[in-house]
Amino acid sequence: MTAAATTAGDVSVAAPVRAKRGRRWTARVVEISALVVVLGVLVVTLVGPWLAPGDPDRVDVANAFLSPGTAGHLLGTDAEGRDVLSRVLTGGRETVLSTLLVITFAALVGTAVGLAAAAGPRWLDELLMRICDVFLSVPSLVLALGVAAVLGPSLSSAVIALAVTWWPGYARLVRSVVRDTLQLEYVAAARVLGVSRTRLVRRHLLPSVGDTLLVQTTVDVAAIILVISGLSFIGVGAQVPSAEWGAMVADGRSYVVTAWWIVVVPGLAIAITAIAAQLLGDSLRVRLDPTLRNRR
Amino acid sequence: MLRFVLRRIGLTLVVLWGLATLIFLLIQLLPGDAARTAAGRNASAEQVAAVRERLGFDEPLIVQYVLYLGRLLRGDLGRSVFTAQPITSDLADVAPSSLELVVVAMVINLLVAVPLGVLAAVHRGRLGDLAARLVAILGNAVPVFWLGLVLQFLVGAQLGLLPISGQGSREYRVPDVTGARTVDALLAGDPAAFGDAVLHLVLPAFVLAAPFIAVVTRTLRSTLIGVLETEAITVVRAKGASPFRVVVRHGLRNALIPTTTIVGLQLGWMLGSTVLIESIFGRKGIGSYATTAVVQTDTFAVIGVVLVVGAVFCLTSLAVDLLQLWLNPRLRAVAG
Repeated sequence: MTAAATTAGDVSVAAPVRAKRGRRWTARVVEISALVVVLGVLVVTLVGPWLAPGDPDRVDVANAFLSPGTAGHLLGTDAEGRDVLSRVLTGGRETVLSTLLVITFAALVGTAVGLAAAAGPRWLDELLMRICDVFLSVPSLVLALGVAAVLGPSLSSAVIALAVTWWPGYARLVRSVVRDTLQLEYVAAARVLGVSRTRLVRRHLLPSVGDTLLVQTTVDVAAIILVISGLSFIGVGAQVPSAEWGAMVADGRSYVVTAWWIVVVPGLAIAITAIAAQLLGDSLRVRLDPTLRNRR
Repeated sequence: MLRFVLRRIGLTLVVLWGLATLIFLLIQLLPGDAARTAAGRNASAEQVAAVRERLGFDEPLIVQYVLYLGRLLRGDLGRSVFTAQPITSDLADVAPSSLELVVVAMVINLLVAVPLGVLAAVHRGRLGDLAARLVAILGNAVPVFWLGLVLQFLVGAQLGLLPISGQGSREYRVPDVTGARTVDALLAGDPAAFGDAVLHLVLPAFVLAAPFIAVVTRTLRSTLIGVLETEAITVVRAKGASPFRVVVRHGLRNALIPTTTIVGLQLGWMLGSTVLIESIFGRKGIGSYATTAVVQTDTFAVIGVVLVVGAVFCLTSLAVDLLQLWLNPRLRAVAG
């Protein structure tokens, strides 16, 4: 802390305290709403199809393009008369499950590679990091597009493609956290006490990685959900009759001028999920890191 | 210093080679016959055989790899099944249009993000900061393809403010020289057509820039806050410099160094994001070329785009690092 900042702090003691209390209160509200939204999305993922008021795939051409608020179709119908609300509730499962699959794979592989790089011999570290560099040398959207195009367009291709492109970020993150932890005295103490290598990794290194991973995976939900739905939108992910959110947006793109709700509703679902995940990740970051708690 | 530069260039070459290898391995994953994919769905058996012969697909893997690297070095990405043209020349045709979009998007990015980032840092914890945080969160959460469609509807169709599709209006006849409509209009000496082309760029460029604005705002905010807390700034303040001078001349100048790194890397990312945007706005470019290729199962054309975007990304990040060296005297001292 510099001299200027301390003096400034001393002069206005009363005001920041009050401001801080106000901010804490709003932060609380934001945090809880984010949590509620995330839980809500997870519930939709689990039981969405049973929550849906109607059959998401029932074509009813006579009732196409009904605007939101029409009796029986709260969010309107699409170009083929399918109920938009039912489709959003059902399609969330595909979008969210694929996102979670990608994150799980990326975090597991990334952690393994990052640990190996940080704790292993120097040449292994160098090799693994150069491999990560190669993967990170192409925007993940583009690399995933290439992989999915090769595997043939489908939601599982998109999931595989993204999982394959997303792990290097985690590998780098885990490597840097583990390297920092290895410098700490408690690790040195454990070593001196003759703790075995596997125990050192399991009991002393992995827990410190856990917090970082939890924060990063939560924030990454936002990023991955955007790319997954983007891939479906382009046409390499979920295929057309699917109610995956990105595919739904693609489905309605030709009618955006006349029937905006077909596009707007699934897009909002993506955006709201991504916003909530980010906010939750931010508040987790503050909660899990004691040095951040009093800053901001 | 020279050693640092050479090392950095060497590293770029290694990564480029790694990328080429990764793509080669990817091609091996192609289900079915790679020669059939390269020749197209409707190719006859003889045509497929000819392609297999020409590309060496029945050679041993290691020979195939060498042949493949050789073709890449000669700039040969294969032939598009859809356009029947070499993919390299296809990409050269559409690239200027993408470049024009990326440049305008970058200008919009900086015009919005720099003032917003400064405002957030100076008004830390107050309204300006809140606005910046909101922009950051929305930028990372709103799908760009969706934003594009919604803005087409709101700004284009409802309000009629901006053109929503294409590179330019039909009434302006501009000879296609470079492929970038704005440049072509200037070359033709037609200011009205130039203005029209720029108007056509505003909406897609803004949508392309949106997620990047979020990142630049956040980076600039946090680095500027750091800089403004240094003793050097206290000295400048004590000497009675105006707040504007303190923030812009002394604070922003120092804070811009990490920001330029981010902005430089964003150029490559933006080029990749055109994949989501160009087809929505009916623009030709690398992105819409890739999406058309996907629909046409023109797999080698998609792979060509991946390679080109990857190469551009590697080269821009090299350029950014070298630029840093020139901009930042501290780094030069470390690099020796």
